[in-house]
Amino acid sequence: MTIWDKISAIDRRWIYLAMAISIFIPTIVVIRFPVEITVESRQLYDAVESLPDSSVVMLTFDYYPSTLAETEPMSIAALRQLFRKNMKVVTISHIPLGGPSIAERVTRQIAEEFGKVYGIDYVNLGYKANYVAVMHGLASSIEAIFPSDWSGTPLKEIPMMQTIKCYRDIKFIFSVSDNATIDYWISIVNAQYGVPVGGGVTAVSAPKMYSFVEAGQLTGLLGGMKGAAEYEKLVGVEGTATRGMDAQSLAHFLIIALVIIGNIGFFATKHRQG
Amino acid sequence: MKTTIPLIVAFLSGIVLIFAFFFNPDRVFIGAAQEVVLQWMTIISGFALVLGVVSILRVNSAKVKRREAGWHYKLATVISVLVMAIPAILPVSSKTFGGKIFYTVFPENSASLFGTGTGSIYDWLFNYVDSPMMETMFAMLAFYIASAAYRAFRARNAEATLLLLTATIVMMWRVPIGEAFLRLFSTQLPDYINMFLMNGFNVAVQRGIIIGAALGAAAMSLRIILGIERTYMGKG
Repeated sequence: MTIWDKISAIDRRWIYLAMAISIFIPTIVVIRFPVEITVESRQLYDAVESLPDSSVVMLTFDYYPSTLAETEPMSIAALRQLFRKNMKVVTISHIPLGGPSIAERVTRQIAEEFGKVYGIDYVNLGYKANYVAVMHGLASSIEAIFPSDWSGTPLKEIPMMQTIKCYRDIKFIFSVSDNATIDYWISIVNAQYGVPVGGGVTAVSAPKMYSFVEAGQLTGLLGGMKGAAEYEKLVGVEGTATRGMDAQSLAHFLIIALVIIGNIGFFATKHRQG
Repeated sequence: MKTTIPLIVAFLSGIVLIFAFFFNPDRVFIGAAQEVVLQWMTIISGFALVLGVVSILRVNSAKVKRREAGWHYKLATVISVLVMAIPAILPVSSKTFGGKIFYTVFPENSASLFGTGTGSIYDWLFNYVDSPMMETMFAMLAFYIASAAYRAFRARNAEATLLLLTATIVMMWRVPIGEAFLRLFSTQLPDYINMFLMNGFNVAVQRGIIIGAALGAAAMSLRIILGIERTYMGKG
């Protein structure tokens, strides 16, 4: 048995251990390489910055808890930017399992930082089934689709919602998503109702979104944890995404090293066998 | 009759939504009719969710009763559904009809535990049980991806080599250390990767996939509206 045969037959638990170490090391040693801003992240930031202060922005929490590491920092950074500009924020979710709860927790946390008040500066509409119908329905009447907010307060009794009736009153939709709902924000709400949509998605969904950015249907894009780290840098408050970049850097390099070693072993064995 | 009525409902709903797209809802009847159809869609989707919960309870509780292999897990599923759902649907105040009955049995000062608001049982279970479990499951992918990359990601032919090289470049480009490494070769290299790889080749391929999928979805929708496709009714 040659060295390459041994390497090829390595117990997978060693690989798991190497991965665990590469993720664990950055929690002890801070490496912190500078995060470069991509064109797409800058475009999203500038689009929000260019909105007049006190505009109404809809922030969507279309993600499951499984992708919190990538998506939550985007929502947090977005909220910091929105509240800093005194925007009125309407949160909504198309995810039944936890979406509105995440929206509630994250928005309240950031709102407290800025001294914002529920019902005056932000509202959590919560969840309604069938996102295609909901997206179309919000065009004619938000209240018809959401008679009350997530905690059951009728929209009629919420001061902020007295002037926000449909998409016409919303200046921008900031969609943070880990699934296909962002496609519908683009194809229904942007294409049919003309509301500008920008957003962040998980790294695995990002390649698909580039075509919408290129076509001008998506105003800026944050891709995965790197995109979230870029937005944190733009907003000027480092968060979990920036801290997570070290762990992700080492993990990516470990995978690249494993692919290289695996292929050297593959070619060495192939060469020996003729 | 069991086939004809669903076919008529599907046809009318589809036609209304197609035509409504071209008309102003404030001026033309069909535009306003779209709103009604969409509200019905939301209501029916709500019932579909209830149907899903009933189905998962029925299927799993039957297996628990029969003590089938792995019945412990089915029992855990049933308990989890009930523990999460019951406190969430209980009334949060005594003002409603259901609340008046409920709060004659339980003290009203426990109201904040019910519903889905902050501090409720549902909220606590979601934040401290469900959410960490889902995050853990997803995080474990990193280990499987590393192992799979080592064992299966081989440059066996030209296509696989191209995929391997692209993946390696993108993985490097998507992290700050990788970007810094790429800049050693040229300060413009990360920008070129974004410009040519992501906004060039990637966009071309993605557009083909998106347009193809959209045409497929349109064709399938047309088949359903015209009653050619009937599998949604359990018929071939």
